[in-house]
Amino acid sequence: MTEPRRTLRWALAALTAVLAACSGAPPSPAPAGEASPAAAAGVKKKIKIALIAKSSTNPVFLAARTGAEAAARELGPKNGVEIEVAWLTPPQEDGQVQAQRIAQAVNEGADAIVLSCSDAGKVTGAINDAVGRGLAVMTFDSDAPQSKRFTFYGVDDLKTGQATMAELATQMGGKGKVAVLQGNQNAPNLQKRVQGVREEAAKHPGIEIVGVFPNIETPQDAAAEVIRVNNAYPEIQGWAMVGGWPLFTRTLLDEIDPKRMKIVAVDALPVELPYVEKGLAPVLLAQPVYLWGYTSVSTIVDKLVLNKTVPERLPMELVRVSKENLGDWARQLKAWGFTDVPEKYLQMGASPK
Amino acid sequence: MKSLVQRVLTSPVAGLLMVILLLGTILTLFAGSHVDRRTGLEVNNFLNSNTLVQTATDASFFAIMAVGATFVIISGGIDLSVGSVYALAGVTMALALRALAPSSDAATVLIGLAICVSVGLVCGALNGLMVVSLPVHPFVITLGTMWILRGLAFVISRAESILVPAPLTAMAKASLGLTETLYPVPMLMMIAAAIVGMIYLERTVMGRHIFAFGGNPEASRFAGLRLGRIQMGVFVVSSLTAGLAAFLGASFYGSASCGDAAGYELYVIASAVVGGASLTGGKGSAISAMLGALLIVLIRQSIRTLRLDQNYEWIVIGCAIIIAVVLDQGSARVAARRLVAAPTGGTR
Repeated sequence: MTEPRRTLRWALAALTAVLAACSGAPPSPAPAGEASPAAAAGVKKKIKIALIAKSSTNPVFLAARTGAEAAARELGPKNGVEIEVAWLTPPQEDGQVQAQRIAQAVNEGADAIVLSCSDAGKVTGAINDAVGRGLAVMTFDSDAPQSKRFTFYGVDDLKTGQATMAELATQMGGKGKVAVLQGNQNAPNLQKRVQGVREEAAKHPGIEIVGVFPNIETPQDAAAEVIRVNNAYPEIQGWAMVGGWPLFTRTLLDEIDPKRMKIVAVDALPVELPYVEKGLAPVLLAQPVYLWGYTSVSTIVDKLVLNKTVPERLPMELVRVSKENLGDWARQLKAWGFTDVPEKYLQMGASPK
Repeated sequence: MKSLVQRVLTSPVAGLLMVILLLGTILTLFAGSHVDRRTGLEVNNFLNSNTLVQTATDASFFAIMAVGATFVIISGGIDLSVGSVYALAGVTMALALRALAPSSDAATVLIGLAICVSVGLVCGALNGLMVVSLPVHPFVITLGTMWILRGLAFVISRAESILVPAPLTAMAKASLGLTETLYPVPMLMMIAAAIVGMIYLERTVMGRHIFAFGGNPEASRFAGLRLGRIQMGVFVVSSLTAGLAAFLGASFYGSASCGDAAGYELYVIASAVVGGASLTGGKGSAISAMLGALLIVLIRQSIRTLRLDQNYEWIVIGCAIIIAVVLDQGSARVAARRLVAAPTGGTR
């Protein structure tokens, strides 16, 4: 009985050895170069920033990661510091796991944490612990306002919800029945956006909200939820989506007739551009998600390296994407490092802003 | 008669401990180091008190549930509802404490604990009652209650993340005389739950009845065991540990929401299985389930500490579970063959 058990343990041990073998050499210390302005000013030569977004399966956060890494490459040499961005985002949304990742970042010597909160209540304690141990913590996209983070970078969620509904009402001529796609119902930023949608809808007597529908924030689950709701409520003429999840697939392009229904959604990633072209989503309200990462790293550099004062809130402005500026927006996405921007949109002529 | 050392070395727990120690050694060697902000000393990224306690804390919530789930698995059943019981117990406690606003810290902690345990008891009794009285496999029953209980948590919490009173967090994050950045309470609760589970399973008649029932239900029936009561009991214990984990989890992280512990049931079952519990029943150990949970968390930790692409996390954990189960079944077959081949007695 014990021999096979021993084999089992050794097999698991072998597995772990493979893990170790895959890891390569341990990280080497920063090279001792010439004295940089940062070093001369007595600032650490290396900054480790833990980037903890909500979910690594959500493309918007991958764009944020691209932005953060680009900022690290650009701002590091410029300021004489080596900037390392450690991607500690959980595979699925889970505030508890985020809190664990914050603790891990602290224990492994991170200097700063950049976080989009899945559940503000769950991460507030961990943020405060991290700040207590000397780390600079900032939030982006989704805030933890009760915590000791030093700043938040993101859109005003209430206004984003209002803008989404206002655009949809315009597209629908001020009347009709609409549904609201909410995403993760626990995310405080999305709850605020839904509140904004409701408040704006109340200003349009012809608009009726038939329901607010939460969804799992994966493209397929979200698209399936939209189809289910459309089947259950055939009277729906418009969707206010406070996140663009279902438009990250092409499913709804085939399922919904643009003449019968209009969608206005937050986010405008490359995969969503055909929805604008076909007129199913005549307006997308883009969060420049790349800047979540880029601006956050830049803000950390401002605080830790340049000792600048950072305001408690860094507002992010939405970009209105429609057929008129589709080419401009596509080229912007390409410039931010997105590799999946369809060529035909890149070729579209520049249009007046 | 085997010596104590021999018995320790040949025990299933020793093998699992060896793997954990080996993985810990690898992590220590390859983790790199950083300068501690408070002391100015260079510390290993893995082998430091904060990381070790944090790893145990991360494991503790589903390790406690894994102890309870081991009872069910030994009995030949399965409980998919533990994550939902966790969520329901957490939000019920948070809502009740918000409404009651107890005047003293002790009352807050005691009422919180009582609520979580009560929710666990009720959910476990519900699961057990249905498993015993309905001709449906526990998988189906608990699959149903998994969604029902999660839905209840959603409805009563209105998808809010509800903050729990500060005394609860102070209790769960008490440093107990250690450095103020160390929070050993969840780890100690995990160890206590595993020890109590081990004593119950291995040192009490009721515990041996669970093994007997899981190993051979027919023989147990003929032996006069009260099978319904045993089944009911294991589901109550499973949900009870989920309630306890919820109490600790909500207290430690400071809030409860209906989305808590979503998908944890799979980690819980995986912990029990990696710890040697057999899904066909009759075999398992509370201590090994705890070590299984620790090993899974350590594998997760290693992926980040070793700077591997964390997208491999699920692949690695999946491989570890399959290897564990396949080899475990192989060991069962070998043991059975030896038993048949042995002229007198077995090889145990």
